[in-house]
Amino acid sequence: MHKNDFLSSDIKPSGEGMVWITSMGLAVGLTMIVFLLGMIVYNGLEVFWPKSVVRLELKEGSTAGLRNAPAFAGEIVKTQTKAVQSLGADGGSLLRQREYQLFVGNKDVYGFGYKFIDNAEIVGESRPSEIVVAERLEYGNAIFIPKQFTLADGSVVGADDPAFTATFDRQVEEGNERRAEIRRIERDQIGAINRQLDAIRLGRRAIENKGGELSVSDRQELSDFDATVATLQAEYEILAAKARGLRELQGANKIVYTTVDGAERTLSSGDLIDYYYPNRLSFFDKVGVFVHRFWGFLSTEPREANTEGGIFPAIFGTFVMTLLMSVAVTPFGVLAAIYLREYARQGPFVRAVRVAVNNLAGVPSIVFGVFGLGFFVYFVGGNIDRLFYSLSLPTPTFGTGGVLWASLTLALMTVPVVIVATEEALAAVSRGSREGSLACGASKWQTIQRIVLPASLPGILTGLILAMARGAGEVAPLMLVGVVKLAPTLPLDGIYPFFHLERKFMHLGFHIYDLGFQSPDSEAAKPMVFATTFLLILLVVCLNLGAIMIRNHLRKKYKTSTF
Amino acid sequence: MSATSTPPVPARFQVAKATLLMDRFMNHFIKIGGLSVIVAVFGIFVFILIQILPLFKGAEVGELKTIPLEKGVYLQLGIDEWSELPFALQADGDLQFIDVVGDRGVTTKSLPFVAEHGIGGVHYNQLAQRLTVGTADGRFSLVNIRYKPAFSANGERTVDADLQADKLLPIGRPGVPIKEIAYADAGSRKLAVATQLVDGRVEIHAVTLVQKRSLMGAGRTSIDTTYDLTGKINGAISSFLVAAQADSVLVTTDSGEVVYLFLEGDDFQVRQTLKPFAHLPNPQVGLLRYVFGDVTFVAVAPTGETKGYSLYLDPKVKTRQFGETKTFENQPGVTEVFAASVRNKAFVLAGENHARLVFSTTEAIRWEKDLDFSVKDAVIGGKYDRMVFLDDESKLHFYRLKDPHPEASFDAFFGKLWYEGASEPKYDWQSTGGSDDFEPKLSLVPLIVGTLKGTFYALLFAVPIALLAAIYTSQFLKPEIKVYVKPVMEIMASLPSVVLGFLAALWLAPILENRVPSILLIVLLVPLSALVFGWGWARLPPRIRLFIPQGYEFVVFFPIMFAVGWLAWNLGPAAERILFVITDPTTGTRVADFRLWWPAVTGTPFEQRNSLVVGFMMGFAVIPIVFTIAEDALSNVPQSLRSGSLALGASRWQTAFRIVLPTASAGIFSALMIGLGRAVGETMIVVMATGNTPIMEWNIFSGMRTLAANIAVELPEAPHHGTLYRSLFLGAMVLFIMTFVVNTAAEVMRQRLRDRYKTVE
Repeated sequence: MHKNDFLSSDIKPSGEGMVWITSMGLAVGLTMIVFLLGMIVYNGLEVFWPKSVVRLELKEGSTAGLRNAPAFAGEIVKTQTKAVQSLGADGGSLLRQREYQLFVGNKDVYGFGYKFIDNAEIVGESRPSEIVVAERLEYGNAIFIPKQFTLADGSVVGADDPAFTATFDRQVEEGNERRAEIRRIERDQIGAINRQLDAIRLGRRAIENKGGELSVSDRQELSDFDATVATLQAEYEILAAKARGLRELQGANKIVYTTVDGAERTLSSGDLIDYYYPNRLSFFDKVGVFVHRFWGFLSTEPREANTEGGIFPAIFGTFVMTLLMSVAVTPFGVLAAIYLREYARQGPFVRAVRVAVNNLAGVPSIVFGVFGLGFFVYFVGGNIDRLFYSLSLPTPTFGTGGVLWASLTLALMTVPVVIVATEEALAAVSRGSREGSLACGASKWQTIQRIVLPASLPGILTGLILAMARGAGEVAPLMLVGVVKLAPTLPLDGIYPFFHLERKFMHLGFHIYDLGFQSPDSEAAKPMVFATTFLLILLVVCLNLGAIMIRNHLRKKYKTSTF
Repeated sequence: MSATSTPPVPARFQVAKATLLMDRFMNHFIKIGGLSVIVAVFGIFVFILIQILPLFKGAEVGELKTIPLEKGVYLQLGIDEWSELPFALQADGDLQFIDVVGDRGVTTKSLPFVAEHGIGGVHYNQLAQRLTVGTADGRFSLVNIRYKPAFSANGERTVDADLQADKLLPIGRPGVPIKEIAYADAGSRKLAVATQLVDGRVEIHAVTLVQKRSLMGAGRTSIDTTYDLTGKINGAISSFLVAAQADSVLVTTDSGEVVYLFLEGDDFQVRQTLKPFAHLPNPQVGLLRYVFGDVTFVAVAPTGETKGYSLYLDPKVKTRQFGETKTFENQPGVTEVFAASVRNKAFVLAGENHARLVFSTTEAIRWEKDLDFSVKDAVIGGKYDRMVFLDDESKLHFYRLKDPHPEASFDAFFGKLWYEGASEPKYDWQSTGGSDDFEPKLSLVPLIVGTLKGTFYALLFAVPIALLAAIYTSQFLKPEIKVYVKPVMEIMASLPSVVLGFLAALWLAPILENRVPSILLIVLLVPLSALVFGWGWARLPPRIRLFIPQGYEFVVFFPIMFAVGWLAWNLGPAAERILFVITDPTTGTRVADFRLWWPAVTGTPFEQRNSLVVGFMMGFAVIPIVFTIAEDALSNVPQSLRSGSLALGASRWQTAFRIVLPTASAGIFSALMIGLGRAVGETMIVVMATGNTPIMEWNIFSGMRTLAANIAVELPEAPHHGTLYRSLFLGAMVLFIMTFVVNTAAEVMRQRLRDRYKTVE
């Protein structure tokens, strides 16, 4: 038969339609994942991109604007078509109305941050270059037209003064420096004094708890305490006065501005964090602002119930927790895997154990959380408190959730992952290299140590990375064993003993949950949630891709090296 | 040639001692270490089990002390909140306070008016620590027992008591002795009821009291209205009860009737007449008492039959009436003594030499014992930690009671219970309530149903996609593309569930809410388009078909899918206007809105955060797992089978469907099981994307509460070692077992599949 005959024949393979149906499965699956990731990346990054601010003029007499003013300004966040459906008795008509959602800022003036406006109300729009977007300590961003700076020495710098931008820059910079200084005094220096006072309080209680007559040395110690408290008190007064002075300076210089709808406001320059002229930015300026804002997001602490500012403590908490978890999970997982693969007698029992370990990886994470709460927090932690921290009871030290318990809980949850991956890696080491080593006179342990473990290291690493990815993205068990929405201190800092294992911590995943669901203003929190989501996804996907790549690389290697 | 003549092993072949030692050490270290890691991991199961065991234990009761009292007739036994200073009221008006903890012995305090007016019936309200004492001349007085804890310098507590008797108020016929009396104070409403024996006939009288309030605080109480209830009862009155709400009286008659009188407007009305033991030869009610909360009463027949009746709103009658809700185990003998706990729904039934502690909600006997004395009176301590019995020889028996989880039982967790106020027995989860007399409802059944519901909808969406994708990837896709496709699908598995939950709730749910018809159209049209296109394509001559090489169909399908999807999305509102139109009953206009149409047609609610959203988002978690495992199973089918089939002339679909799929069926089953396990335990998506209401229905447009979500929501607030805490551990155990069984089944199937492939090769 000629080839052409086949091409023009009407042979119909059976079931081609079904093949297309199956191709739909793959297409839908791929679309879902690509679309979801794309959406998160877009929404997460868009948050930091400076948008231009639009001034909208409303038609005469319109009350749809803000404070009944004829114009207002904001960043357009969303454009949508509102379909007003009505199937009335007259046959029905469908009205399609375009509307915009604007971020108008100035929550202190309006009481809200977002506003919807119908297209029909708008008669004109412009992008005035003098509009400023300023990040403030309170009430979120402000969008305004600056009028003047009133400085502490009584001088006034008007907005049309050529030195205005320089003044603005200097004020913001000085304000930020002073704020850092106040923070250093209050948090580090006064914090240190408070810690000493706390230690003295506990020392006193220890002496009092002895009961009976006080010995001479005890009495001596008590009077020493009194003396130290007096010195600390004096030091505290000095520091507090210094901080007060700086606070006053923060409020000394003021910027006067009007919002686009005409409200005049005054703001202490100490309350300013950052500002930019959105409508004067070139593309590269925008990139600059984008990078600056993104860096701020990564490196600063949250403000205003987590809806503003950065997420540094959450990133750091996730990092410390995952690190502790890895430290805990690796030796135990590897040990168990070596036992199962190299030392245990292979038989039905070990097979059953292997199946069970494998299945533990499928047990819901919340069950591990329940165990962590009952065992680590209440049982182990409670007993540690009774033994070593009985003085500060009933305030629990280890008997409450903390970063140590959280990471141990997650370590327990991920240990099956590591065991399974390590076992696979150990099994993949060829019999030849083992036997070669033994034949050369190496002992069993030497063989494992020098030949088997190095060869299976990438496989173990894969397991560990998968465990880390799972641990970093898990939230449900953490909610039970120590994650909080706002931790005042980090689990790792410069204060002795540096690692504070009992402290509660923040976590990226819980941050998303908390912002999205417990926040008083979920609309205002949404950009932050998307940004945090983007970061978490980035972290988890990178870890997983790394693991997948190592695994694929390994498979290739073993395929070629089998003998 | 003998062994002795072998030359010594040269030194260079000898193993260093350190190596041998190290090897031996590592041998033991790894064995012990490895085993203990594995044991520790399985310790989770044991630990959780230990936490839930106390739930299924009965009460522990032990005798602490026996204290002989002055011989005499005792009318009433009472106890303070701390169970340290119980009292016994003697017929001569002396209250004996017995110090059972310290060494103060017995202190006697007398009721001041008894010497002059005598003593009739007595009523004790343990919660308010108030005695209502009827006199022998038709009056009564409210006596407050004021227990005061005092703390010594070293923090030890002693409890003191004194009496404060209000002035005597008249009730019923003047000068006639009070037979029984009861009093209830519900704040603005105060009601006293008494029976008197007048000319051989029992009369029942009620008075309401008012308390003057002024700036100086609460003033004296005085009589407001008097009622003679005797005429409303047919038959001889034997006993009565007054509810704590001060709005009703239950009267029993000698013929065994219970009459429910309710104060409505300005008079008592007979709301209901019951005859609990009508089926017995002697229908009399031996004992009638309220359990804590005064919504349920317990009736005991002289033969020992025991029943519970509760007030609930019967939809047929429209008023709250008593209905038989509980059947307790028969009492072994005559029951004369009843004592209710003021903490929970437990009560003691005792008589002769037998005592029994029963929990009303679960009908369970918490404890029972044959005693070596005859019980005359009993009282349960205010914290449900002590019991006091008085025997017929005037001895006080002081018992320790340890029953931390009375409301727990197998029935409470997995069975239907008739809770107070409910019109039928139900499965219900409601762990906390507003008032003290709230019954915690701890049925895990709605949670298990919720778990299965979430899992069902997740699998309904995920399994077809995952399996189709797995078949396509393993059987038809070009291997060069497969290298990239698989990791992308696996990345999907790594998406943290909190992210999926957030997107489901704040992004997807609001979109889907308005677009249900569009979604329905997409679900219908996209597969249809694949089928139609594939069918049509196969009918084209091979020359054209070669434009799309085999293994690239899915690339071509993308534009088709997007086009059809876009079309369906936009046709949605149009379809809604045609298909989902209902007439608004309030305005009479016709509205095309699926959100209104669904409840109107199916009678089930439409919620924004519903199972559809959860199912879709859980798909992201389930699809990659099912896909990966199913794909592995399909790919591992020996190539010889496929080649044979293709060589015999089967088409690629025939080969895939008839040869590969049946061979790999065990692996696919295993994939489904593991996907199921993942969906069952999913927590954050459900917490965030549903309303978390524990309901029992399968409506796709309502939410649910799953076991996992329930734990996440309630455990942070559950008091350590409380009943709720342990119940949540029980929930975790159920979850653990469910997933473990499912996963083990999957694993066994996979092992079997591996063996099967071995024989094929």
